[in-house]
Amino acid sequence: MKPRLTLRWIVFAIAAFVMNFPVLATLVTAFKSSGEVSRNPSLWIEAPTLENFATVLTISDRLNVYHYLWNSLAAALIGSVLPMIVAFPMAWAMVRRGYGRAILFPLVVNLRALPLIIFAIPLYMMYATLGLLDTRLGLGLLLAIVNLPLALMLLVNAVAEIPVELEEAAHMDGARLPRLLFKVVLPLCRPALITTFVFGFITAWNEFLFGLMLTTREAVPMTVGASFFFATSGGGVQWGTASAVMVVAALPPLLLGLIMYRRITGSMVAGAVKG
Amino acid sequence: MKQERSVENAVLAGPIVLFLLAILGFPTLLSLVYGFSETTFQTLTTPEFSGLKNFRDVTADPTFWQAAWFSLRFGAITAVLQCALGLALAVYLAPLVRRHGWTVAILIIPMIVAPAMMGLMYRLVLHEFAGPLPHYMYSWFGWSPSFLGPANVFKTLVVAETLQWTPFAFLLFLTAFQSIPDDLREAAAVDGTRPWRLFWKIELPLMMPTVFVALFIRFIDGFRVFDNIYTLVGAGPGGSTTSMSIYIYETFLRRGEIGKAMAAAILLFVSAFVILALAQRLMRRRTP
Repeated sequence: MKPRLTLRWIVFAIAAFVMNFPVLATLVTAFKSSGEVSRNPSLWIEAPTLENFATVLTISDRLNVYHYLWNSLAAALIGSVLPMIVAFPMAWAMVRRGYGRAILFPLVVNLRALPLIIFAIPLYMMYATLGLLDTRLGLGLLLAIVNLPLALMLLVNAVAEIPVELEEAAHMDGARLPRLLFKVVLPLCRPALITTFVFGFITAWNEFLFGLMLTTREAVPMTVGASFFFATSGGGVQWGTASAVMVVAALPPLLLGLIMYRRITGSMVAGAVKG
Repeated sequence: MKQERSVENAVLAGPIVLFLLAILGFPTLLSLVYGFSETTFQTLTTPEFSGLKNFRDVTADPTFWQAAWFSLRFGAITAVLQCALGLALAVYLAPLVRRHGWTVAILIIPMIVAPAMMGLMYRLVLHEFAGPLPHYMYSWFGWSPSFLGPANVFKTLVVAETLQWTPFAFLLFLTAFQSIPDDLREAAAVDGTRPWRLFWKIELPLMMPTVFVALFIRFIDGFRVFDNIYTLVGAGPGGSTTSMSIYIYETFLRRGEIGKAMAAAILLFVSAFVILALAQRLMRRRTP
C-alpha cells in the first residue's frame, strides 16, 4: 500500500506543477527586477525584489490599480448578492408550491450554457440609451445575470432539504409568509447562501468579456485593467510589472477560493449535476 | 384563500421575472430588430428594415464559417482531452485525496484564476525572450517551437485551455468516484476481480452519467471561448484563432457592422439552443 501512495504523490506533484505552471511563472517573475527579467527567464530568482509591486501600487496618471480593484469589488458584489435576492423567494415558491418549475426553472438554468456574447451587443445598445455604459452598476447587473442560474439551482436545492414540518410548525404558530421566509427559511439556507456568494463573487471578479465591451474608463474592472499593462509603452511589455499586476488581480479570488475550497468544490458539483 | 395564494406567488416570482425581463427580455427584442436592419453606430436610433440581408452577409462571409469550424473543433477536442485527463487523475489520485484533502485545493487553483489572466500569463510563459518555457526548451534541447506561430497556435491554445479546465472534470469525476459504494468494490475484491477490470466493468459504467455531463459542459465552454484566446493571441495569425465569440466581438466593435454581428449572434443562439436541446434529450434517455 505504501509504495503505491508514493507513486500517487509523484503523479500529484507533476499534475499540480504542469497545471499551475503559468501561475508559478508569473509569481516568480513578479519578484524579479527589470534587469533580471531580461537576463534570466528561468524559474529561479537571483535577487528577489518588491520593486514591481511598488510600481504597480503607486498611482500614476495612466494606470490606477486601486481604481480597477474598487470597480471589480463593487461590480462583483452587485453581481453576487443581487442574484441571491431575486432568486431566494422564487426558489421557495418553486420547491414548496411547484410554481415556475415548468418554464422559469429550465429557462434560467439553461442561460448558463448560452454564449454570453449573444446578449452583449443588444445590452451594449440598451446601456448606451440608459447611460449605464461604463458604470459599475451596469457591469454588476450583467454579472448578476451570469450568476443567476447557479444561485437559483443552489437555493432550490437548499430549500428542498429543509424539512417541511419545520415550516408547518411555524405556520401553526401563526407566522405569515414574509415572517416564515425571512425568520425560518432564510437562516436555514445560510450555508447555501455562503456558497452561492463565494462562487458568484469569484465568477464575477474573473469575468472579462462584459468588462471589455461595456466599460472604457470609469468602471474598468481589474481583469481588463490588467490587460492594459500588456499594451502600454512602445518598448514592449514590462514583464516584471505586468506579472505583479496579475498577482494583484488574481489574489482576491484565489484567497477566497482557497479558504473556501470545500464549498466551491461542492457547489461546482451540485451545479453540474443539475445543468 | 386561493386568490391570496396566487397573489403571493406573483410577489414571490416578481423580482426574478422583472430582473430577467429588464436585463434580457428587452435586449433580445432589440437584437431581433437590429438583426433584420441596416445599422451603423451613426444610425443607431433609426434602424432601417433590411429583411434577411444581414443573414445573407454573414453566411456569405468565409470568416464566419472559419470561426464556426474553429469553435466546434476547439470545443470538441478540449472537452475530450479534459475529460480523459480528469478521469484518469480522479481515479488514480482518489486514495491520496481521501487521506490528504488539501491536495484538491492545489489542483483546482487554475480554475479560480480568471481565464483572461491565464491567457496573459501564457503570454509570459511562452514569450521567446522572457518566457521560462522557451528558455528551458533551448537549454535542454537546443530548440524551441514557435508556440504562437501559425503552425502551432491551435495546439498551444488547446493545451492551455485543457490545462486550465482539467481540474473541473477532475472534480466532477472525483465526486462521482467517491460516491460509488465501497461494498461494491469489496465484493469485487472478494471475487478476485483485478483493479483494471473493476474499473472497466463496475466503476466506469457507474460514472458514465457524469462523463456525459462533464463532456457537455466542457464542450459548451470551449465552444463559446473568448477570454483566454483574446488575451493570448487575439484573432491570431491570419485570423486563424477567431472563435465565434471573437468573430462577433470583432464584427461589432472593430468594424461597427452591428446588423451583421447581431445576425451572427442570432445564428449562434439558435445553434447553441439546438445543441442544448439535443444534449438534454440524450442525457434524459441515458439516465431514466
